[in-house]
Amino acid sequence: MNPLSGNKIFYWSLFLIAVAMVKSQTSLASPGSGDSLMIGNITIPAISSFEAPNDSISCVLPFSRAGNLILIRAKADSTEGNFILDTGSPTLVLNLTYFRHYTTTVRTDAEEGGMNGTGAPVQETTVKEFTIGPIVYRRTVANLVNLGHIENSKGVKVFGLLGMKLFRQFEMIIDYDRNLIYLHKIAKKEEKTYMHEMLQDSTSYKTYAIDLYNDKILARTELAGRKLRLMIDFAAETNVLDSRLPDIIFQNIAISRRVILNGIGGQKVEALYGDLSNMKLGDDPIRTLPVLVTNLSNTCLSYEFCIDGILGFDFLSLHKIGFNFVNRKMYIWK
Amino acid sequence: MEIKSTRHNMRGMVPFLRCVGIIVFLLWFGNISMAQWTPAYTIKNGNMVIILGKDIRESALDSFIGKFELFDLDLKNFVKTHKSDSLNKLGWNVQSDKELGYLLTKPLVSNKNINYANPETKIMLTEKASFAERFPIVSSRVKFGYNRFRNKFPFAIKDSFVTFFLKGNLDAKRVSLAGSFNDWVPESWFMKKTDSGWIYNVKLSVGKFWYKFLINGNWTTDRDNLLVENDGLGNDNSVYFKPNRLFTLKGFTDAKKVVLSGSFNDWKANELVMNKTADGWQLAIYLADGTHTYRYVIDGKWVEDPDNPDHYPNEWGEYNSVIRVGKAYIFKLDGFLDAKQVVLSGSFNKWRRNELFMKKTSTGWEFPYTLGPGNYEYKFIIDDKFEAHPGNVNVKNGAGGNLYFVIEPNYTFRLKGFPNAKKVYLTGDFNNWSPNTFAMTREGDEWIFAANLQPGKHTYKFVVDGKWIIDPGNKLWEQNEFGTGNSVLWLGQ
Repeated sequence: MNPLSGNKIFYWSLFLIAVAMVKSQTSLASPGSGDSLMIGNITIPAISSFEAPNDSISCVLPFSRAGNLILIRAKADSTEGNFILDTGSPTLVLNLTYFRHYTTTVRTDAEEGGMNGTGAPVQETTVKEFTIGPIVYRRTVANLVNLGHIENSKGVKVFGLLGMKLFRQFEMIIDYDRNLIYLHKIAKKEEKTYMHEMLQDSTSYKTYAIDLYNDKILARTELAGRKLRLMIDFAAETNVLDSRLPDIIFQNIAISRRVILNGIGGQKVEALYGDLSNMKLGDDPIRTLPVLVTNLSNTCLSYEFCIDGILGFDFLSLHKIGFNFVNRKMYIWK
Repeated sequence: MEIKSTRHNMRGMVPFLRCVGIIVFLLWFGNISMAQWTPAYTIKNGNMVIILGKDIRESALDSFIGKFELFDLDLKNFVKTHKSDSLNKLGWNVQSDKELGYLLTKPLVSNKNINYANPETKIMLTEKASFAERFPIVSSRVKFGYNRFRNKFPFAIKDSFVTFFLKGNLDAKRVSLAGSFNDWVPESWFMKKTDSGWIYNVKLSVGKFWYKFLINGNWTTDRDNLLVENDGLGNDNSVYFKPNRLFTLKGFTDAKKVVLSGSFNDWKANELVMNKTADGWQLAIYLADGTHTYRYVIDGKWVEDPDNPDHYPNEWGEYNSVIRVGKAYIFKLDGFLDAKQVVLSGSFNKWRRNELFMKKTSTGWEFPYTLGPGNYEYKFIIDDKFEAHPGNVNVKNGAGGNLYFVIEPNYTFRLKGFPNAKKVYLTGDFNNWSPNTFAMTREGDEWIFAANLQPGKHTYKFVVDGKWIIDPGNKLWEQNEFGTGNSVLWLGQ
């Protein structure tokens, strides 16, 4: 009797196909992508990738602004509208108001720089097709959050936030003067060589090393001989600094006023505005920056590491600014 | 004897305690010298630290309080009485020394509800404070506007054309104009070069417009225009108001300063400074549709417009001049012929009780009043008593519901079903969430109400026989502070 009966051959074939699928999907997934999808008993890593993942894609997109936030048109399945570029958010975030009908799973907030940092449950969903210009992401995991307060304050409809995971494989150049964002998805084969033509003239800009950690962009800054871990965040209008930093840092800040900050839940906390001097980015001094000084201990829990502060619009808007998230570089035009 | 002895001992202790205090102070501040005991606000060991010198002058303290926005601390009272109870209640630790002054500390604590890892919290807390104030989600109707140019005259207006002018930049190869009036299409309206700059004629209706120049393809605001604003959709833009009213005051040529002040700018006495002409003063401004009251402030003295006979009485027994823009409506109250006086009071005149005195007719009372598009509430005050309008559905509710009317409704709210409901009201941000004013009427199988809404976002609910519900026919809603949700409506986006 043949040791491999018809049934066994059938099941072995299924198993091999499944393994092949898993391998193929894994190779498509973006580096570090941690979300997963269950089909039967097989776990397939969720994909934030493109129709042709090995090919590069380039596009130039106009952006508008809500206050000082960058609004980019994007489409989540059939719903199209403005999304805020939020490099401080790890994932794609959808405004609950417009995506309430999506099927969600509830995840306890713990990983990936959780949304609340309080262990509160986070609603998670999957967008079948998410597009930004010609860039297409399939089966993208997104968090569903109420963004009504932002809409009320800015007076514009906000469908969601474009988080950092969407851009990990990209070069991104933001031209604030022309309201244009240049995106290039860097293919594997060009990882070492690709550079936008605007970067050909190396005398017109300066290059700085950045770090990516847990989908956060960290600038290498130094103040009073102490290295600061500052997160670069396009969705923060002011710069922020942790009040728990050593006193020597605050000897370089001239406090300008006290403010009472209102949390979304209606609770209040005190903070201070001031002007920060003598900070260096890489080896270069940067001009005095306005900062909001507040206690950031909660973010340590949420991010699973502590940041010393945030570099927001007040820093970013000074320049035409670019990033290569693959080679971890930041370009600042003179 | 014991008591005396204790007093004696305490007296002996005072210098010692003072020394300890000074040492504590110096330990706290290490390198802070005596010379630095001018008022200061710093951060030390994660604490906010306020230092006030012993002999701080009242004016210096005022300026310190104003600079750092410390009004709620009542520092003036503290310095005067040395009582720190109210500061302690606010979480401040107070140390004082008679020789040196005061040291106030308070930790900058965290709050679990305020976490910058939450993107909504972060975006809200880091936003520029002035933005939300300048562009509120509701009631964003512009009441008035005026242009503020420097180094150049206001744009010339002929017929309905406005000549936009960019001063200088004569080396530029091309200059174009783009703005809210041409959908911001870049490099389409090319300006004409003159001997002093660049010009372009634009046909505009009255109102508020945003614009920018493109010099050799590069966007720039009008550097000679002091009005710059972010419209919420783009970068900073220059603002231009095409005026519709020229305020003119004849004479007073010896005056140093004349200011226009009125209901449209909340009676600010230093904002609308008039320009001196050969025979008087004038200022062109844009005024929205409606009835506006105003006065001139001539070298600090308030006067009504001597050339305008149209005026209303004010609370000081004098008169405010009146200017009307747009269409007049007649308020009528039938009956009450025995009343001595009837006053119209409403949301349109901030519920003033001494301004709009109605005129008696053969059948009742009436008053003409000019208003622009909007939702308004009002009441009649008959012989100093509030009396609701007979025949209005709200008369019977007894809950203080006002009369209302809507000019130029542009959106109809519809609630299907609820056939047995006795009273259904519409409530939302557009009527200050009044639960018993906007009574819906039954039409077919729906309750309806037509309102005038501004473009942008609105939140609302229905009140069905006293029960607040979100709109079952609208899938868009967001959570509110009560956890009960508000329906969301966007107009024009």
